[in-house]
Amino acid sequence: MSGLVLKGISKSFGGTRAVDRVNLTFAEGQLTALLGPSGCGKTTLLRMIAGLEAPSSGSLLLGGRDITGLPAHKRKFGMVFQSFALFPHLTVRDNVAYSLHISGASRTEAAETAKRLLDLVQLSAFGDRRIGALSGGQRQRVAIARALAQEPEVFLLDEPMSALDAKLREEMQVELRLLQQRLGITTVVVTHDQREAMTMADSIVVMSNGRVEQVGSPQDIYHHPDNAFVADFIGKANFFDGVTEPGGIRVGPMHLSAKPNFVRGSPVRVAIRPERACLDDEPGENRLSAKVTFVRDLGPVREYHLDTPLGAMVVENAPGEVRKSLVIGDRTEVRLPPEALHLFPDPQAAVAAE
Amino acid sequence: MTAVERIEAEMPDRPARARPTPRRILPWLLSVVIGVLCVVPFLLVIAISFGRKIEGAAWQWDFTLANYQRFFVGALWPDEVTFLYLQQLGFSFWYAVIASLLAVLTALPFTLLLTRLSRRAQAAWLVFILSSLSLSEVFIVMGWDILLSNNSGLPALIKSTGLTQWLKDVGWFQTLRDWGLASPRNVKFKTSQFATILTMSYLVWPYAVILLYPALSRLDRSQSEAARTMGAGGWTVARTVILPAIRLPLFGSTLLLFVFLLGTYVAVTVFAAPAQHTTAVAIYSNIRGANLNAPFGATQAVILLLAAGLCLTLGHRLNRWAEAR
Ligand SMILES: Nc1ncnc2c1ncn2[C@@H]1O[C@H](COP(=O)(O)OP(=O)(O)OP(=O)(O)O)[C@@H](O)[C@H]1O
Ligand SMILES: [Mg+2]
Repeated sequence: MSGLVLKGISKSFGGTRAVDRVNLTFAEGQLTALLGPSGCGKTTLLRMIAGLEAPSSGSLLLGGRDITGLPAHKRKFGMVFQSFALFPHLTVRDNVAYSLHISGASRTEAAETAKRLLDLVQLSAFGDRRIGALSGGQRQRVAIARALAQEPEVFLLDEPMSALDAKLREEMQVELRLLQQRLGITTVVVTHDQREAMTMADSIVVMSNGRVEQVGSPQDIYHHPDNAFVADFIGKANFFDGVTEPGGIRVGPMHLSAKPNFVRGSPVRVAIRPERACLDDEPGENRLSAKVTFVRDLGPVREYHLDTPLGAMVVENAPGEVRKSLVIGDRTEVRLPPEALHLFPDPQAAVAAE
Repeated sequence: MTAVERIEAEMPDRPARARPTPRRILPWLLSVVIGVLCVVPFLLVIAISFGRKIEGAAWQWDFTLANYQRFFVGALWPDEVTFLYLQQLGFSFWYAVIASLLAVLTALPFTLLLTRLSRRAQAAWLVFILSSLSLSEVFIVMGWDILLSNNSGLPALIKSTGLTQWLKDVGWFQTLRDWGLASPRNVKFKTSQFATILTMSYLVWPYAVILLYPALSRLDRSQSEAARTMGAGGWTVARTVILPAIRLPLFGSTLLLFVFLLGTYVAVTVFAAPAQHTTAVAIYSNIRGANLNAPFGATQAVILLLAAGLCLTLGHRLNRWAEAR
């Protein structure tokens, strides 16, 4: 098995367990996003991959070779830091050529590589500038070029977009993804922005509290979340707590048709995506009366906040929505198709996710 | 016409200068007092340096360049030339340069490690180092005097542990003798340049730590880490990332300690051979000590001051030049 494999990696800082028994495989040439809320251990995991932090237990394998004890400067995984960590005393070109200079490459080779990479990140005209004279987006591109100069086997980026404004961030996400695909480097991007992860990644690793919650393709994770935490963290979801009963779930006073595969009487958490609820007039199960409490019109999408017998819920981009233009106070009916309901067994996990 | 000038030109009726009020007079008065306190002793020294010594332990105002001539070529010039005083200035510089470099270069790794400790440990160390500054030069030199003295200090220890014999056996003893660090029987540190410089750098070592600490604690750890992920080992990181980042504070600290050490008196009188004494020692012996030649002492002081000023200016220039590059 080629690629990068983590086996039972843990890291404790004193009493806190930042990373807890993580098993992961990063396929060769793929881009994986590490996604999770702040403090869940993403940076710590990335630093262990880079060799900047020693795991408390577990091992790392690259192409089948154990690299757990290999120091960072022998691994030479290119890393882009959250703060970019560019060298202010060097020019842009010398920053990019740094790894070649210290490895004793010839001047011409270093200059050629720097030129090629600056072309790649579209900064050819900025080679002689100091780092202080660059914008945030330009710095980020220098950091990427610098990390790629050594032609790393693994490319690591820690929240590379966090210093950029929203528009530039989206552009850079696409640019970075295209670049990665062109170079075919095994890449791990840390982010806490799920849009960013969905935009760039072949595969997403959702983490919380140092543990891996789910690994899968963006579509997989969005449409088939393994647990309530993932359903809540990736995209939006409406949650209701209930108990299984024959043919469905009892939520408060209501019976919802669903296909629960749990023992009767188990407590469950029900989730439905805002765009899977229907405002159409099709016949079907699980029709609820609803009252519009708030409308958020964002231009391309319109978000309705509804008050239903199950509790408050948000509906957005729902089938049938365009034909109705509801205003605050209107009464309507909302339908929750049984196949759109996600059922999660463990309410404790659901509580923890909030 | 700049914007400011234009604005001023467009304000023809500026209020007439306000009458002096106590609030205005006070700062003036303060500056005058401070100016007098700083400048007058200084001017006095300059004036005295042109004075004339009268046989019988006194001097009188005058304007003669004899003292300056004596400093550079000796009193009996042109019949006889001596560079004794220039040589003393040379020793001042030599000791101060080596001792300040030694202090800064040894304080550097220490301070670097210090900044990696926990906040609490850092604070404890800094308090300890700051409090060591309260020890007077006399006290520190006394300690080193005992430590390095030939009969009771390190040399005695070296002899009793058999290290001396071992040094003789492997033949390094002769090297020490060539360096003036051994008598025929045992190693000796008094008197030697080694002991002088060691004590001087010990004197300023706490200052070196405190001067370097702010710059080192502001070092960006992620830059070093980035260098490591690009294949830089410990030394390469130090050379290509840390040193360039602290070049200025390093240089500034060395310069400051150097100028400070130009005036060292006690350590030199205790540890340096009389033929290798410095200008600072000579100044003292002229003004308070055996020679009693205040005008010549003043001349030496002025020259030492000018030399120090010259070094600071050169350092500043060098920095600006390096910055621009
Ligand atoms: N050097 C350290 N010493 C002690 N605790 C640490 C250290 N580094 C990280 N931690 C703790 O480990 C946990 C995970 O931190 P980490 O930086 O990996 O989170 P993260 O997922 O990158 O968060 P963010 O999105 O905010 O960057 C946190 O609780 C943090 O306080
Ligand atoms: Mg982080």
